[in-house]
Amino acid sequence: MGQLSSSAAASGAPLLAPGRVRALQRVGVLCGIAAGAWLGAAEVPTKLVTTGISPVLISFLMVAGVFLGRWSLPAIVRGTSGIRADIAEAPHLVIWAIIAGCLWSVANTLTIFAIRDLGLSVAFPLWNTNALIGIVWGVLFFRELHHAGWRRWSAVCGGALIMFLGGMLLARASSSQIASHVASRGIAAALGAGVLWGTMYIPYRKAYLSGMNPLSFVSFFTIGELGMMTALALAYIGGPRSLYRQVTAAQNVLFWLLAAGFVWVIGDIFQQYAVKYVGVSRGIPISNSNQLWGLLWGAVAFGEFRGWQHGAVAGAVWGSLLMALGLAAISFSVADNSEYLKWMEAAEREHRRYGIDIEFVRSGMEGRASTPQQRRTWLDWLLVAAATAAFVWTGARAHWPSIALDGASAIVLLALCLLLLAASVAALWKVTRFN
Amino acid sequence: MYYYLRPAMDKEEAIKRPETQAINWLASVTGDVHFWVPTVVLIGGLLLLRWVS
Repeated sequence: MGQLSSSAAASGAPLLAPGRVRALQRVGVLCGIAAGAWLGAAEVPTKLVTTGISPVLISFLMVAGVFLGRWSLPAIVRGTSGIRADIAEAPHLVIWAIIAGCLWSVANTLTIFAIRDLGLSVAFPLWNTNALIGIVWGVLFFRELHHAGWRRWSAVCGGALIMFLGGMLLARASSSQIASHVASRGIAAALGAGVLWGTMYIPYRKAYLSGMNPLSFVSFFTIGELGMMTALALAYIGGPRSLYRQVTAAQNVLFWLLAAGFVWVIGDIFQQYAVKYVGVSRGIPISNSNQLWGLLWGAVAFGEFRGWQHGAVAGAVWGSLLMALGLAAISFSVADNSEYLKWMEAAEREHRRYGIDIEFVRSGMEGRASTPQQRRTWLDWLLVAAATAAFVWTGARAHWPSIALDGASAIVLLALCLLLLAASVAALWKVTRFN
Repeated sequence: MYYYLRPAMDKEEAIKRPETQAINWLASVTGDVHFWVPTVVLIGGLLLLRWVS
């Protein structure tokens, strides 16, 4: 039988040496940390919701930016011919990519409502419960943490408990500052987003156990994303004419929202690599350090805590720290050899169920290309040019939104994001060549 | 310790295998729990969005 095997006695070429596993895991962890920084930064422009723009319109425009990013960045790094070749190996994954995109859009729209009702620094940790959902699905469906040993299980369960306590603390802090009906609606929106995002990791993990390149997967993911978001915008804003009117009226802030989507894409691509190389149960908690970045941006750059009572601020800070502690406990329970073999069994399921070429699965798990690097075509350059033109056009019409922002703090936070971007890109290139 | 992957079956063997022949793409997708869980959660999310908005 042509299948992945956990048996060292099985015949065939060695798949991965332990050194290679460790290198891939290090890259996965670094990508998770970078993802946290960039996903956190991407939420900052959603603060524009306080300037009176509809939450659904904000989400729609962000998704438009995401669409530009998800086609232009993979076109530069991988090329559309490479993307086509990957999808031809596992065409069924297009369905999962589209479902995942739909989940993302609905979750993102919910977060905009949550930010409106609760504020960025409180809403963030609540939807970051997506890590817990991701862990559950990872264990149930992809054999993550199987054969992990009691230490890793304790770290994950203990971390989950601490996260829960931190979340409760934050919810209490918010409810003391916000009208109860608004708080409960915001909390429901934030937790709902957490469930949707947590479930979105099912398609992610499925794709990467099948050997898919993250850059190829996100290109189709974004079709579901834009399709669902357009449907939501049309339904909630009141048809194409009304949508057009609102987009035109918001042209002063179009650039910032498209940029938010683009920044999100950078974070999300790193998150995809983290899921690929350290799994859902570790990759997502690490990248959910965006909670801390959200707290930093909210508290330091936007001064969200001004006017809050001392006890409430302390509750929000302690809640965030507790959640971060829980996430760290989960993150550093690194997979060992026996657990890694269980991942391979999950990969075998995909190989057998969908008849995916075993070499494709194998090369994907090793972090190397199954096909030679494709040359860039005119289509790639066209996509890059179109995305650039969209940003230049909207940038020329952009006005600085009327929100208070501490410039010095923002520059420091941005510099840290860029540093992490450079380190992760270098590591990905060195170890996997972006595979 | 090394992890092993068995080499792919040769094409003739693959053609003979009934389960390989019987791969039905659509049935595989709709019979996959990985498909239904995200779909159900998506529907729930849309209902929640309707409520909060």
